[in-house]
Amino acid sequence: MTQDVIKVTINNKDIQVPKGARLIEVCRDSGFDIPSFCYYSDLALQASCRMCLVRIEKMPKLQTSCTITCTDGMVVTTQSEEIEKAQRAMVEFLLANHPLDCPVCDRGGECELQEMAFDWGGLEERFTEKKNYYAERYLSPMVANDPQRCILCKRCTRVCDEWMGEDAIEAGGRGANTVIGTYGGWLDCSQCGNCIEVCPTGTLLDATYRHQARPWELAQTVSTCTYCSDGCQMSLGARGGELMRVVARDRYVNGLNGEFLCIKGRFGHPFVNHEARIRTPMIRYKKGGKLIPATWDDAIRHVASKLDSIANKHGRNSIGIVGSPRLTNEALYLLKKFATDLIGTDNYAVTDSVNLTPFFANLGAPLATHRDIRYAKTIVLIGGEPEELQPLTGKQIRQAVRNGGARLIIFNSVPIRLREQASQFIHIRPGAEEAAVLALAGGATDSLVSRKMGIETAELEKVRGTINETEGDLIIMFDGSLSAAAQSALAQLSYLLRADNRRVLFHPLPLYNNSIGALDMGMTNGAIDVTQMLDAAGRGIRAVCVAGSFLPEQLRGREESLAKLDFLMVQELFETDTTSFADVVLPAASFAEIDGTFTNNDGFVQRVRQSIPPVNQSKADWMITDQLARELGVEFGFGMSASAVFNEIAMQVPGYAGLRYPLLKDESKPVQVKHDIAVQRDISNELETVRTAVEQMDESPEKHNDTPDVGHELFKIRTLTDKVAQFHLLAAGNPRPESLNVSPLYQITLSDDLRAEAVVAGD
Amino acid sequence: MHIEAIGCEPLQLRRVHLENSRTLEVYRRNGGYEAIKKVLDSMSPDDVINDVKKSALRGRGGAGFPTGLKWSFVPKDSPKPKYVVCNADESEPGTFKDRYLMERDPHMLIEGMLIAAYALGAKTNYIYTRGEYRYLIDIMDQALAEARAAGLLGEKILGTDFSCEIYTHTGAGAYICGEETALLSSLEGMRGHPRMKPPFPAVSGLYACPTVVNNVETLTAVPDIIKMGGEAYQKLGTEKSGGTKVWSVSGHVNRPGVYELPMGYDDMEKFIMEDCGGIANGRQLKAVIPGGSSVYIMRAEAVIGKDVRMDYEGLVAGGSSVGSGGFIVMDDTVDIFESTKNLTEFYKHESCGWCTPCREGTDWLVKIFKRIDNGGGRADDAQLMLDLCDNIEGKSFCPLGDAAAWPIQSAVKRFPEDFAKHLVGSRKE
Repeated sequence: MTQDVIKVTINNKDIQVPKGARLIEVCRDSGFDIPSFCYYSDLALQASCRMCLVRIEKMPKLQTSCTITCTDGMVVTTQSEEIEKAQRAMVEFLLANHPLDCPVCDRGGECELQEMAFDWGGLEERFTEKKNYYAERYLSPMVANDPQRCILCKRCTRVCDEWMGEDAIEAGGRGANTVIGTYGGWLDCSQCGNCIEVCPTGTLLDATYRHQARPWELAQTVSTCTYCSDGCQMSLGARGGELMRVVARDRYVNGLNGEFLCIKGRFGHPFVNHEARIRTPMIRYKKGGKLIPATWDDAIRHVASKLDSIANKHGRNSIGIVGSPRLTNEALYLLKKFATDLIGTDNYAVTDSVNLTPFFANLGAPLATHRDIRYAKTIVLIGGEPEELQPLTGKQIRQAVRNGGARLIIFNSVPIRLREQASQFIHIRPGAEEAAVLALAGGATDSLVSRKMGIETAELEKVRGTINETEGDLIIMFDGSLSAAAQSALAQLSYLLRADNRRVLFHPLPLYNNSIGALDMGMTNGAIDVTQMLDAAGRGIRAVCVAGSFLPEQLRGREESLAKLDFLMVQELFETDTTSFADVVLPAASFAEIDGTFTNNDGFVQRVRQSIPPVNQSKADWMITDQLARELGVEFGFGMSASAVFNEIAMQVPGYAGLRYPLLKDESKPVQVKHDIAVQRDISNELETVRTAVEQMDESPEKHNDTPDVGHELFKIRTLTDKVAQFHLLAAGNPRPESLNVSPLYQITLSDDLRAEAVVAGD
Repeated sequence: MHIEAIGCEPLQLRRVHLENSRTLEVYRRNGGYEAIKKVLDSMSPDDVINDVKKSALRGRGGAGFPTGLKWSFVPKDSPKPKYVVCNADESEPGTFKDRYLMERDPHMLIEGMLIAAYALGAKTNYIYTRGEYRYLIDIMDQALAEARAAGLLGEKILGTDFSCEIYTHTGAGAYICGEETALLSSLEGMRGHPRMKPPFPAVSGLYACPTVVNNVETLTAVPDIIKMGGEAYQKLGTEKSGGTKVWSVSGHVNRPGVYELPMGYDDMEKFIMEDCGGIANGRQLKAVIPGGSSVYIMRAEAVIGKDVRMDYEGLVAGGSSVGSGGFIVMDDTVDIFESTKNLTEFYKHESCGWCTPCREGTDWLVKIFKRIDNGGGRADDAQLMLDLCDNIEGKSFCPLGDAAAWPIQSAVKRFPEDFAKHLVGSRKE
């Protein structure tokens, strides 16, 4: 594709730029610094700060370069006495009512206004009047607000509207009395905190980090989020072995998410240094007894001898090895190697609720990246609720629709919030997601599919019409509700739906930060899955080693299983239902304490970097496995080096061939795993299986008609979010405190009852 | 209040003095709805636009943009609906002509809008009235109901294929909503902030559709243009400023009121001293703000004996501009420092807060005025004010910043003595 190139002259320098380029970007790319506050790439233009003024020949006044589209022959001056006076004047105006007490402001040291005042401000303060004053206040448990520091760039209101689709904050009042505020005085939103992130001054502040540290005291470490499968890049700010905050500010990190994070990524980190972290290895010397603290050597020796004797007595397959999809690739790889090469058991599994193996086995097209989603032309979403479970994907979908004009087709049994962005929302019966695959693959008549879904057949015709009209990328997203046969058929849809001018990409929506990595490391192809392993406890399975814990839904109805085991070893951060049955508990290090990699739902392998030393006596999961192997007489030979483990992954796992940590260094250029693309094949057997299942579907279930509340998944209290007091307030309905000037944590007592209610409500 | 047309036949003010002037019956008896009939019977939309172009009618809201040209910017082939919006957000201090016209002759506005809607192919049209003019909405709604009942509004107007509807809408009391793009934002239900131009409303206005926003007086001029023909209308005024202009005169004259003058009326001194009855209480003329608060203030010396012609070019030559025609006369009792402080407080109050220079600049200026007023004046304050105005002028997002700067700049420069006496050593007792 050739792009028209035009010539602009900036400060007497001729520059070739693509037609339609934005002047401010062209100037900056050409080395001419243009100051700005309100301009923010990929947000609606604002042109209100008036910092980016330039002189353009044949135009009467100074022009805001953020609003100017370059035209051929344009002659621009960005540096002159006139422009400098205007820019100094704007800084002077902005500082007029702004408190000049940077040393007590949380943003001091990384404040754009502060930097702008240094670079472009005047030396002398001419404003000698009284400043307008507003009291500091809280907008929510997460967001603190100091209105008088606001320069009204409105990045916050725009990200709230354009990124989040929530429109929870807006300006109130007028003129110099304009104040950014909420509707009703208390923020009722998903509490993503992106308004805090994009705020150039100390107006919107992280209420969980407030007055805890100064930015320059923090060591910034770029790492990958440990919550969902989107794999947002973040900067961990640590001081003295304590993780103080998480940000995605572009001065520290430039990942696939830009400055976006969700509530969990941004505020969900206090578990890392939480007092409830398991402090030492512990051994339960007899069933029903207490866990007694032990040294690492004793604990590992105890585990090794137990595993040895059980293997000898009941055979190698009596030992189950289980890993969490939250672990790094390095930990999962080593766990698999430990299971197959050392123990020699076929019974290894991941505590994930979804297994995407059939999908990847038949994958007919590459995975869509988040950038692909932003610029997609049509997005088909089958099941799932990305705005709660994969928030970055949700944001990309919203922007694709709002800013890119993409068409969004949703098949869902629940009227999720994202339907407001959809060009077509197909409200199906619960459990009928399979039928959507059948319809897209043409595996059944429209009348069967629509009857089972409980929709009009015209809806399906409309879907096909939209797909046929699509020129550009068609992205198919799906969650874990699809059966193995449906996943296989879906993975081959790319061959059916592609065209000369249409590319088909897939975007699976697994739940965990390393669900895809666990699959790539081979942990999902064991002989049995987690629930089968639990069901076999005490019979075929005698001992289990778990890195992580079983999910509550996996243990539900199997409460007795763990007690039936001869031996259970658990590597964990916190005591859980699983550790309460453990014979040995080993303290594992969290994502902030280790090096490694996660593989996200784009297939990007991204670095996890150590920000703080392991808390208490914890160790990285892979090192625990390594140490246990050594005790069992096998030296893996990785020493203390996670990169050595990764090098072996690159040799053993085909999609990771050639990768090395140095190649993954730049988070702004993430590297995609080369998942095997399966050739087109006959999928009639799979479609037959799906059709049979669809034919047997019950047509009686009522559709869900209530749109779930914002945060019904995000605010859920689980093992990690349980450690953040603010999450308990949110899970309890985010009550508005009596005074907005004091942190709600000091005003609202979370009684044991409220806490219990919160857990139930969130579950 | 004195009502008079001077130097021309009353066009805008033709019916305002009649009993029941706001009724359809009186309007029709006095030539009303003849223009729309002529348009529907014998003119194409292009004929109408050409006639308005020939009339040299310029927007009467303040900016003075040629109306016919504005109309011709609306893309004819656009598949989107088009809108005509009447800007009745008359908020410029010193201006009360639109209020008077709507109050006394609402059907004239309706007819003007019908003709504009026909010319531009608009089916839905709005009259956006400032919040403080709530009572005018009732008058307009009543007139619209009368017109609708008489087949002059709604489906198949006057039995032709032309259908169109007009709705009234009130603002919530913001001066900025008189700026056409802020008006459209407000009309859409959003905060009354101005929008970026381009795109101009003619291409992407109300609901991102082609829209023409015209002042009340602009639209009420249209029926007469159609009736007498564009050229005849133009000849009432000057070559570049056709027709007549309604001036709302306030301040220290013996006969304040609403005056209709031909464009190019000669001259301002005669207008003040004779037509408006001269300065009240036998005092001396000190200053004139001829076009609403946003224009340059003029010294008496720039008016007396200077033969200032009252049209766009003449007033610019005289050191000010027509603006909205809010003609404020001040006698020698007025302290220009005080009057400028008053105006600056208005602009500070009405700055929408969108852009930095206008929001912070007007706030700062008011604080300086207050400090001086409290006896804290400093010798360099006048220069500081001028510099702040310079930093606002031409750098704000919309013209409100300029409008706030101009009165201060002109007052400080043209009445330095009134400022000087407030500065050093003048602490009030």
